[in-house]
Amino acid sequence: MNPNELNERVSAARAETEARGETFYPGPSRIHLAAFPPKERWDDWVELDSKSWPERKEKRYMLVPTTCFNCESACGLLAYVDKESLQVRKFEGNPEHPGSRGRNCAKGPATLNQITDPDRILYPLKRAGKRGEGKWVRVSWNEALDDIASRIRKAIVEKRNNEVMYHVGRPGEDGFTERILAAWGVDGHNSHTNVCSSSSRAGYQFWLGMDRPSPDHANAKVVLLISAHLEAGHYFNPHAQRVIEAKAAGAKLIVFDTRLSHTATHADYWVAPYPGSEAAIVLSIANYLIQNNLYNREFVRRWWNWEEFLAVENPELPTDFATFELVLKNLYKSYTFENAEKESGVDARVIEEIAKVVATAGTKFSSHNWRSAASGNSGGWQVARTLFMLNALLGAVATEGGVYPNAWNKFVPKPMYTPPHPPAWNELTWPVEYPLGMNELSFLLPHFLKDGRGKLEVYFTRVYNPVWTNPDGFSWVEALNDESLIGCYVALTPTWNETSYFADYILPMGHGSERHDLHSYETHDAQWIGFRQPVMRAARERLGEKIADTREVNPGEVWEENEFWMELTWRIDPDGALGIRQYVESKERPGTRLGVDEYYGYIFENSVPGLKERAAQEDLSPLEFMRRYGAFEITKKVGAIYEELVPDAELEDVKEDRFSRVYTKTPKPASTNIVPIASPDPDAEGRRLVGVNVDGKILRGFPTPSGRLEFYSSTLAEWGWHEYAIPTYIRSHIHPENLAEDQTVLISTFRLPTQIHTRSANAKWLDEISHTNPLWIHPTHAAQLGLQTGELVRVETEIGYFVVKAWVTEGIRPGIVACSHHMGRWKLKDEGQRQMMATVALAHEGDEWGIKREHGVHPYKSADADTQRIWWTDVGVHQNLTFPVHPDPVSGMHCWHQAVRVKKAEASDAYGDINVDTHKSHEVYRKWLRMTRPANVHSPDGTRRPYWLMRPLKPSREVFRLPDNQELVGVE
Amino acid sequence: MELFRALAVLAEPPTKEAARVALALELGSLPEQSEYTDLFVFQLYPYASVYLGAEGMLGGEARDRIAGFWRALGQTPTAEADHLAVLLALYARLAELEMDESDAVRRQGWHVARKALLWEHLLSWLPAYLSKMEEIAEPFYRRWSETLLAALFEEARTLGKQEQLALHLRDTPRLFDPRENETGEFLQSLLTPARSGMVLVRSDLSRAAHKLSLGLRMGERKFIIKSLFSQDAAGMLDWLEDEAREWAVRHRAHKEILGDTATAWENKALASAALLRELKQTANKMA
Repeated sequence: MNPNELNERVSAARAETEARGETFYPGPSRIHLAAFPPKERWDDWVELDSKSWPERKEKRYMLVPTTCFNCESACGLLAYVDKESLQVRKFEGNPEHPGSRGRNCAKGPATLNQITDPDRILYPLKRAGKRGEGKWVRVSWNEALDDIASRIRKAIVEKRNNEVMYHVGRPGEDGFTERILAAWGVDGHNSHTNVCSSSSRAGYQFWLGMDRPSPDHANAKVVLLISAHLEAGHYFNPHAQRVIEAKAAGAKLIVFDTRLSHTATHADYWVAPYPGSEAAIVLSIANYLIQNNLYNREFVRRWWNWEEFLAVENPELPTDFATFELVLKNLYKSYTFENAEKESGVDARVIEEIAKVVATAGTKFSSHNWRSAASGNSGGWQVARTLFMLNALLGAVATEGGVYPNAWNKFVPKPMYTPPHPPAWNELTWPVEYPLGMNELSFLLPHFLKDGRGKLEVYFTRVYNPVWTNPDGFSWVEALNDESLIGCYVALTPTWNETSYFADYILPMGHGSERHDLHSYETHDAQWIGFRQPVMRAARERLGEKIADTREVNPGEVWEENEFWMELTWRIDPDGALGIRQYVESKERPGTRLGVDEYYGYIFENSVPGLKERAAQEDLSPLEFMRRYGAFEITKKVGAIYEELVPDAELEDVKEDRFSRVYTKTPKPASTNIVPIASPDPDAEGRRLVGVNVDGKILRGFPTPSGRLEFYSSTLAEWGWHEYAIPTYIRSHIHPENLAEDQTVLISTFRLPTQIHTRSANAKWLDEISHTNPLWIHPTHAAQLGLQTGELVRVETEIGYFVVKAWVTEGIRPGIVACSHHMGRWKLKDEGQRQMMATVALAHEGDEWGIKREHGVHPYKSADADTQRIWWTDVGVHQNLTFPVHPDPVSGMHCWHQAVRVKKAEASDAYGDINVDTHKSHEVYRKWLRMTRPANVHSPDGTRRPYWLMRPLKPSREVFRLPDNQELVGVE
Repeated sequence: MELFRALAVLAEPPTKEAARVALALELGSLPEQSEYTDLFVFQLYPYASVYLGAEGMLGGEARDRIAGFWRALGQTPTAEADHLAVLLALYARLAELEMDESDAVRRQGWHVARKALLWEHLLSWLPAYLSKMEEIAEPFYRRWSETLLAALFEEARTLGKQEQLALHLRDTPRLFDPRENETGEFLQSLLTPARSGMVLVRSDLSRAAHKLSLGLRMGERKFIIKSLFSQDAAGMLDWLEDEAREWAVRHRAHKEILGDTATAWENKALASAALLRELKQTANKMA
């Protein structure tokens, strides 16, 4: 047979095989880079048993997808379920997942450690002794549910809705719990976001009306990261692989990081600025583009709200673009490279070289700031805002290789029920001082409670550990120990943590392979959903069993949250009289509670475009398809939505205002994507903002008040922060002018690539790799202090000190010190979590708190033989306890960087010593509170907060109105 | 171009799932894994750099050039960009991209890339490699190598000759002369196809030992050939000269299809034969 005939024969054989839904070419191989088992063999995958070597013993697996639950990225996992024992033997990447594309960081496979952790919590527990005493009794789920439900019901009936609060750490399903709380009519959502990312969010939201960036790193020509994205940033694994792809294709990588992070080691340009000076550098780059006319003038003309800026701020000037360009040049001319050098300590010539590289990027400029400088500094929100200004100058907005707003690269499918906005405003989370706070002022809760601003009947933490994660943990301990402030504290957690010791109930929740959640994240220019599912439930259903409740397949009595919340909601309103039960009632079997199969079945059937058709190709229902493959890509290459023409059908009775904003009477078309975005106010006649008139065409624009990119924020201008109405540089609380001579800066925000807060603890592989957090200190600095690596140092903060080991390294800017926040777990008794928690003695007198380490970890006997092989004792030091709260007066974000004194340890100091005065911490809280500009003084319209701004759980419009001062909590 | 992709699959260890690919190629039932190991792991390493690099080893400049070809296409090179399976799969892909492209300019771009890959990185070494395989392989892989060679030649005929000689072949490194260089370098260069014009595998050295009635010591090829020289240097020079002349004939046989590529290889082999003869004469005079 000649080659051409043979070619046809092979093509036909391939087509025939693939028509049967099978894979013609075997994997793994180099041919299709198919390093994954072909999907038609996921029911029966054979591998040799590594433990039987050298005997060639075959093991048969069922491969079941789920989603990682460690960091927020929601990467796909593939669980290898041993068909003989029906146990998960390992987790690898899910090749069908569009975000992670089969790749994972160390934390994904370590899910196996978490589900087999001998120290995990398997049964509901109720406190037996005093709070924090450590005495527990096992209770049934029924008992716990009934008690908690009756407390919540009573609070709701007695109109004490604000006494119910849910505080989330690791996010679960997009919007799920918010909807549960809305069903209860409770404004009780509290998140960790203000100790995490809310400053970055502020920077992006003021520009875009959407609060997260979605950089198209893979296609960029220049990538600028103010973060450690290749190891630990948000969407670290999905983004890192795309940044590296860009680099391989010749893109230049610029990294700003005071520390030599792994990311910095990959950079073409790494600069280590003085912490907090990042915005000064970025603005000098912006100024270079502006002064040299290297910006995308047409884009700026079309999409910036410069007309509004001129009209409001410079009414005497003509409102034309040429005038604006002159004004712009004038506004930023002081941001020279030399001034940036003065602020940052980075050589002006280096900054200039970087500016020239940025100028070459055109619309292929991807940038990212998330936490890092934004979350370290007061005014850090201007770091993200100035960084995005570079994109806005280059026109690299929703372009290939540019930055998209997250909402365009995300799909949140509409569920069966969407309860109305709750008619309540909780001032414990949204206090009057922070009308522009991006998220709940969560880390101030103990101070608010102590100040008598309210109390809580039921307080849930959900995979969250505020005593350890938040600053000022001892104030949390004080609040949690006071039953008059917190009536019933319920910790929903898979594993023991510092906060759960003070709980009234500990309810065991599932890890990544033991729970349902639906996710979608902006990992690249596409929209996808990823399904987290209880693996054993899916596996046993493949074997023909019917599972009604996830507890049937999880270890012990571990539950998943979605079923838990539905059941709790049902029990709060068992007869439906409160109008709550209807939101968790089955439509298939009225009068009974909704189950997860019906819940997800509805979503996949009705709200995910294209999924039904794709599933039908394989004779599967949409739910079966998602259970089988774990992810679905809805669309790729979303593109620049702001440039889309608004269809005529949406333009009924339109009105255009003087800034060419177009308002329409046409109601918003129904969409099955309910991704949160900002909601600009309607016009005086109730028309909604539908787009903007750009050069005679009505285009979709942005969900900002102006409908454009907001270079000028009327919101900031009108709500008391006029000086920040445009992107500027704000000197940080740790700027040299704010430090005493003997003080230096401690960077406390960085993560380790192999850990994720307390979520990953008791993952033995990760703990073996990373278990300590020495203080990074430069050799010149160490020499001044007479310090060597391994020696003890005392780090004094405003409210106390901690004692830690030094690590002398050139990987940090001289004069600055750094310590990762991932370490220093502790417990008061030997039992509980034993791989990563030191046993400590807690001393407490008045406002003085102290911790003395009794011993570190050691080998122990358990169901897992590896626990006898623990070779490390050091688990690091818990520095966050010694940090007071620093709420940024605008964004509300905790500003993490600390002004500290670093000294050689004293003779009486021991490793791990911690000392804190909570009276001082309360004073610092008051000091920062005084920097705010409260709504009751600065609100331009008598409301508590601009309605257009996003809020995780938005209450109904009427409660936005400010009450009288005497009714306002916290106003003196 | 499914044929190349299917052939690529069989340059990998044969798994049972590859059986349907072999069936479609009419190659018969899959061989044992051990047969694959003997051929691809011990005898004929399936990496272009071994045959095109001046060191005769994996990696180096030859692999970099191939990785550069991927980059020029805007692709990230895989870790082993010069692996035979990877190259064949890439060829299949380029041919498909060309065929599927509706824009004439872009289609021409893919065509140029495909032709470059064929002449630069496939035909520059595979005819010699496959000729050795045909000689030493058991029936399954003999058929496979015949099929692949026929397919490559068909492509060469269809796409026409490349104007310039492949970059890999433009440098003409030759055997190291042991009178001017270390003996070790001379021996290594004999095992380096880009220098010697020959593909000498383990079974060839075993054949030499048999023919010259020498003891065959086990070890890497360089160790074996050193041991054979230490036993009978003159006999080995003779044997190698014959091999070089035989390779020159093999290369010449491809001249009609491959043109200058075949000549470049032939010249390498002839230069080797000449040096080996000269060395033998020098040795005789000294004796």
